Amino acid sequence: MAEKFQGKLEPIDANRWRIPRQSRPDMRVDGIIYANEALIEEAISGGGAVQVANVATLPGIVTASLAMPDIHWGYGFCIGGVAATDVEEGGVVSPGGVGYDINCGVRLVRSDIPAQEIRPRMKELIEMFFRELPMGVGVGGPFRFARQEMRRILAEGSRYVVSKGLGTLEDLAMTESHGCLEGADPDAVSPEAYKRGADQCGTLGSGNHFAEVQYVEAVYDAPAAEAMGLKEGNVAFMIHCGSRGLGHQVCDDYIRAMRSAPAKYGITLPDRQLVCAPAESPEGRQYLAAMRAAANFAWANRQLLVHELRGLLERFFGRPAESLGLRQVYDVAHNIAKIETHVVAGRRRRLCVHRKGATRAFPPGHEELPAAYRSIGQPVLIPGDMGRASYVLTGTVGAMEQTFGSTCHGAGRVLSREAAIAKARGRKIEAELAAAGVVARARGRTGLAEEQPEAYKNVEDVVRCVVDAGLSRKVARLRPMGVIKG
Amino acid sequence: MKHCRTFEHTADMGLEAHADTIEELFEALGEGLAEVICPRRQVAARQMRVLEVAAEDLEALAVDFLSAVLNVIEGQRFALAAVRVIHADSGAIRAEVSGEPLDPSRHRIEREVKAVTYHQLQVVHEGGQWLGRVILDI
Repeated sequence: MAEKFQGKLEPIDANRWRIPRQSRPDMRVDGIIYANEALIEEAISGGGAVQVANVATLPGIVTASLAMPDIHWGYGFCIGGVAATDVEEGGVVSPGGVGYDINCGVRLVRSDIPAQEIRPRMKELIEMFFRELPMGVGVGGPFRFARQEMRRILAEGSRYVVSKGLGTLEDLAMTESHGCLEGADPDAVSPEAYKRGADQCGTLGSGNHFAEVQYVEAVYDAPAAEAMGLKEGNVAFMIHCGSRGLGHQVCDDYIRAMRSAPAKYGITLPDRQLVCAPAESPEGRQYLAAMRAAANFAWANRQLLVHELRGLLERFFGRPAESLGLRQVYDVAHNIAKIETHVVAGRRRRLCVHRKGATRAFPPGHEELPAAYRSIGQPVLIPGDMGRASYVLTGTVGAMEQTFGSTCHGAGRVLSREAAIAKARGRKIEAELAAAGVVARARGRTGLAEEQPEAYKNVEDVVRCVVDAGLSRKVARLRPMGVIKG
Repeated sequence: MKHCRTFEHTADMGLEAHADTIEELFEALGEGLAEVICPRRQVAARQMRVLEVAAEDLEALAVDFLSAVLNVIEGQRFALAAVRVIHADSGAIRAEVSGEPLDPSRHRIEREVKAVTYHQLQVVHEGGQWLGRVILDI
């Protein structure tokens, strides 16, 4: 099904490949794929490389159409795609450059709980998570927000729910953009989107979303790990989810609203799913205002989930959260478009940076980082798969220079859901994971099969590539102990 | 005659329907979408909703119609038993969907669907038969 890349692809170095601008008449810039020998074949055959070239045709794109090493096929833009457009020179914003799950992201909470203390009770803990952490699939979550409150969530994100006592000020400080994008407009969000999100704030959802118990298996950068409170042998909790039905509907609404924009602005597109409009046009501004509102909803969603998680852990251990050392390490968005200032060819330019399946990775000293991380760089949270490992990295000057301050977001899928189910036939994934020391529970009948470790690239290859390319530094490796899938 | 099946697509899933008429094609796609989310055999046709959708071409109409069906299920929490298309042409559709309010104790949600996409979208009339293909973001 995926379109194999047939064009010219030349190696730049051991970790980067170039699709030259000249290889297609409609490309405005080069395409650059970050991949090592272990990963490049999948980028070529899996359809991602074709999409990197397609994105290079967008008006106003600067430097290059980029793809991170966890590249795989997506709608319009590939997953792992990074594209920056110059908003002052007609640069476009594309809903397909953010994706349907706006501000899908990852939140990590560290603890003082030793892994050996929790391991004998892992089954009990996972059963409790499975029973009580709201999934919101088919049923609403425990939180109900009246329309006025929903409007405030869309405008203020995590800040609003924290102001209601559902989190701490430290949670806000340790969240990308403090859990709130300015310029969100609740009126730009359709009634249908409100309806789909009404009882889903504070729910995990389904698909590849999860809550995972992990332990710090290895520390590579002691000062950075110390700043984040990550200590070898201690437990951490990772949550991966996004903006639920509200975000999906916002994306759908604006792809529809922008269907006529390419003709209006004289833009020719190689794929209908890439619909876009100049970021400064009425259509572009409206989408950005709605996208920010959905991003704020996603941050409030993860905030509520972490609040629930703390409550469950307090009950489980019979001790207050503070005594368990439950503190948020960070929260990153990996499906988002942001207006940021970057230096391009020696000049500061205001860019619309699309990160779709890519994580912001700002370097040490960046003004947007909380004081605790100013000297080490932004924490980057990379979920792997539920059998192998996840990583904590930091942002670098290299990322700022090469990729508009961006890096990978995960392992990247290699098997379709049906192929994964077929591969699991006759096997017991739950038992296999248990043998590897991971207690897993999934809501759907095929959830564990679809999300089995083999459905993903090896996160080690992906992380090695971004580290070798200078986009990130390794801080710690986290090993899964227990997971629930929505 | 109408028929709908699912097919594999990268991380997601597609719907492919064949039908004698355009109305039946949209019915098959709508019921196929409902089936992916919540198997229809669990659902009784107790209530009805009317959907009216217009779009610039047949393919856009398919996406908009199926998005409206998705909205009834997810936004209104209404489980679907059947889709009946009253009228469809190249730019508009009027349909009645029947079912009942979603009850988690009786209706098992198999999976969530994020959206109906435009990727490799196809609605064609070939050899006296209608064919529709859409890919769902799961």
